[in-house]
Amino acid sequence: MSRGNLFISIILWAVLLLFVIYPLSFLIIESLKIAGTNQYGLQNYIDFFKDPYYLKTFWNTLLLGILVLITTTLFGLPLAYILARYRLKGKLIFTALILLPIVLPAYAGAFALIVLFGKMGTVNLLLMDWNVISKPINFVFGLHGLVFIQALHLLPFIVLSLSAGFTDIDPSLEEAAEVEGAGGFRRFLTVTLPLCSPNYLAGAVIVFLWPFTDWLTPLIFGVQDILPSTAYINIAYHFTDMHRKYMGIVSVVISSLICVGIFLASKSWVERKKYTALSKGTTLEGRIVEPHPWIKLISYFYMFLIGVLVLLIPVVLGLSAFSRRWVLQPFPTYWTLDNFKLIFLETPLLLKNSFLFSLIALIFGVVFGLPAAYLITRTKVPGKDTLDFIITLMLAFPGIAVGVSYLLAFWEGIPLATHWIIMPLSLFVRRLPYFLRMAHASYLQLDVSLEEASEVSGAGKLRTFFNISLPLLLKGIFVGLVMFFIMAFQEISTAIFLYRGGWETLPIGIYLNWHRGMEFGIAGAMAFLMIVIIFILLLIVARIGGGILGAAWGSSGGRY
Amino acid sequence: MAFIQIQNLYKKFGHIVAVNRVSLDIEKGEIVTLLGPSGCGKTTTLRCIAGLEKPDEGDVIIDGKPMFSQGFVPPSQRGIGMVFQNYAVWPHLRVFDNVAYGLKIQKVPRQEIKQRVAEVLESVGLAGLERRYPGQLSGGQQQRVALARALVRNPKVLLLDEPLSNLDAKLRERMRFEIKSLVKRMNMTSVYVTHDQAEAMVISDRIAIMEAGNLVQVGTPEEIYKKPANRFVADFIGTTNFIPGEVSQIDRDRKVVSLRAEFGKILCRVFDSAMVSQNQKVHASIRPEEIEVFVSPPKDKENLFKGTIMHRAYLGNFLYLFVNVDHTLIRIQAPYDIKQKEGEELFLFLNPEKCIVLP
Repeated sequence: MSRGNLFISIILWAVLLLFVIYPLSFLIIESLKIAGTNQYGLQNYIDFFKDPYYLKTFWNTLLLGILVLITTTLFGLPLAYILARYRLKGKLIFTALILLPIVLPAYAGAFALIVLFGKMGTVNLLLMDWNVISKPINFVFGLHGLVFIQALHLLPFIVLSLSAGFTDIDPSLEEAAEVEGAGGFRRFLTVTLPLCSPNYLAGAVIVFLWPFTDWLTPLIFGVQDILPSTAYINIAYHFTDMHRKYMGIVSVVISSLICVGIFLASKSWVERKKYTALSKGTTLEGRIVEPHPWIKLISYFYMFLIGVLVLLIPVVLGLSAFSRRWVLQPFPTYWTLDNFKLIFLETPLLLKNSFLFSLIALIFGVVFGLPAAYLITRTKVPGKDTLDFIITLMLAFPGIAVGVSYLLAFWEGIPLATHWIIMPLSLFVRRLPYFLRMAHASYLQLDVSLEEASEVSGAGKLRTFFNISLPLLLKGIFVGLVMFFIMAFQEISTAIFLYRGGWETLPIGIYLNWHRGMEFGIAGAMAFLMIVIIFILLLIVARIGGGILGAAWGSSGGRY
Repeated sequence: MAFIQIQNLYKKFGHIVAVNRVSLDIEKGEIVTLLGPSGCGKTTTLRCIAGLEKPDEGDVIIDGKPMFSQGFVPPSQRGIGMVFQNYAVWPHLRVFDNVAYGLKIQKVPRQEIKQRVAEVLESVGLAGLERRYPGQLSGGQQQRVALARALVRNPKVLLLDEPLSNLDAKLRERMRFEIKSLVKRMNMTSVYVTHDQAEAMVISDRIAIMEAGNLVQVGTPEEIYKKPANRFVADFIGTTNFIPGEVSQIDRDRKVVSLRAEFGKILCRVFDSAMVSQNQKVHASIRPEEIEVFVSPPKDKENLFKGTIMHRAYLGNFLYLFVNVDHTLIRIQAPYDIKQKEGEELFLFLNPEKCIVLP
């Protein structure tokens, strides 16, 4: 072990200590404070599980998680099978389309849904115009709307992980079942599906845990008693009532514990059950078959249906962005560019902040992630597994936990929150694992002997890294960069706790304009702009490294 | 009527003809090996028998029942057992459940399943490992699970697709004999696919040699070795020397042909004298172990040539020599007591009985 590696390790640990462990420990300390006294204790936690309101919130969140998981599974399973197994035209474009919801902020989808299905939304107005109904139907407000929009947002995780599973299965395992006498459906149930269970679980955990993270979408749909939403309201609006604030923090801690617990449990299960490594000599393209014409027709219809649902969001946001006062009308009546003028002329600050903060966060991410990936894959520095573990854990931590802990730790403790650097810093910590996973995956694919050959030829470690490793890792790193940037760009759950006047980002702007009520066109225009930016970035990613993206989210998705 | 009849089987993948009108009859209880280099169409033929691949033309008739022409019979309805190259043992099921899978589908009573699984595991030497997962087994053991799974239902036909290619050399050699005796004991009609000629020689009653989608020759191992149908077969099975030449004289009664080779006249046998014509360009083929070596020239021998030793390797029970006869290199398996060194001269006797003409 070289001194250089040890040095890198120490620096990385210092960063983790200061920006992850220190703030998160504040969260726990704060949750133990008893209001009105100087004492610490478990009283807040006891209150949480005694208070019917918090208990109801807790169960509601679990219920929401289960409902969203069931919905995404029901809709995602056939779709994954279609994409993985049938020879169909336009599969590639459709796959790109289905990726869209992952990178779109969930709240942007929520706005679109309200415009379309709200009480005075397009569908209700049309139905009333045609005298089908006399009073508007409540399509979206409440749990069902929440389940719908979250399921739509999370569907790609299930589809990608499952279809990777369906593709990766060694074909002979299914052929063996066929020869043994198992016909289609039986074979699917006894062989195909069980073999995909690790892949499924990898996606399912992300889906199930999402309701413990997303506080904004429930509020938009008028559902308050969901754990993260309750926490947000308690912390953001009740800073005078210390007990409610502490209860909010307790909610955050409990959400985090559930997320981390389930995440770790599933991770260990997946690692124990990894089937793919077992089989040898697999064939080229899995089992892509020419479906029966009827099945083909149904598949196309199904893909079309999901495609329409996915496209609804950008289309509706686009319509509202280019129109003025689209209220009480099924379709916009007055087209204008005013909304965009407003954004570009009056509030370019938001755009500038968004780009600047995401970019700085990205630089932090690279400066941290690249050495970390190197350390984890290529060295035997003591403690590197723990380092990997903590960083991976950040995947499970709800954004609200990072936001609140930063507020606590860098306001009262180290006074960093008075400087705007706190914004990119929190973005960086929130998305810490994204770049690292991508770099990690590329590092694993890079044959060590290529680097060893360079060292044998006389190049030092640093020179080898810049001359050999970096150029070969470049594609993976680039995709990692763009994905990181996209995720940082749309981040709101952390930033909302930390921003001050002048530090607003585009997502915060969307939220504020919606919050003020009347400025829906502007919020729509901002969301639309954001979708356009993200989509362009996504196209670049798909163009340069579609395979890598697939590898990072899909087949190696067993490692999230 | 043969138990399995492959009739005029034809299969294309894109523009490539994988199987080109192959016909082959396999008798009940026979072990037939499809042998050939990779890409010759042997696995595709096997997969057509299994029904995992549908031929573009032709049919496979098993026990009198057509598998394709009168409605496609899916693999699950064919009553076959199959051992896959990568074993295809289901990793999520225990050894017992892997083997019992097909019996459960047939709704065999539970008690009988237990008994039959135990018996078959006993016969493949896996007794006591019922509760293990495949991940806890060695490659050889997984291979036995695959074999047990294929045998347990007493299938009409057993198909084996390069079942030994993932095992190490020692184990591979032992398993050849084990599989053969097991299959023979159960009197199971088997089709075996391999690219390993030694494996094919050990296992098969008959070998069917394929090249580029075509069935080139079918015969017992001995027939194939001694009477290869063409250069490809002679080269693929064992090693041989090819000496190019032109037909100068044909004795159709004695089935003897004279060739004009670069270094002189060679007398050869021809199995079918209708095959050759005057001045035709052909090859004489003789195996290294069939060439006799003399230090001084014996009298009254035809097909005797003088050559210089180029390479000499001592292999324990024999010598391996490369001899240069007038710019043609000839491989010879010579007795180990030949003392001549590299650069020294030898006389080679290409016995006309062992020297054959191949088109």
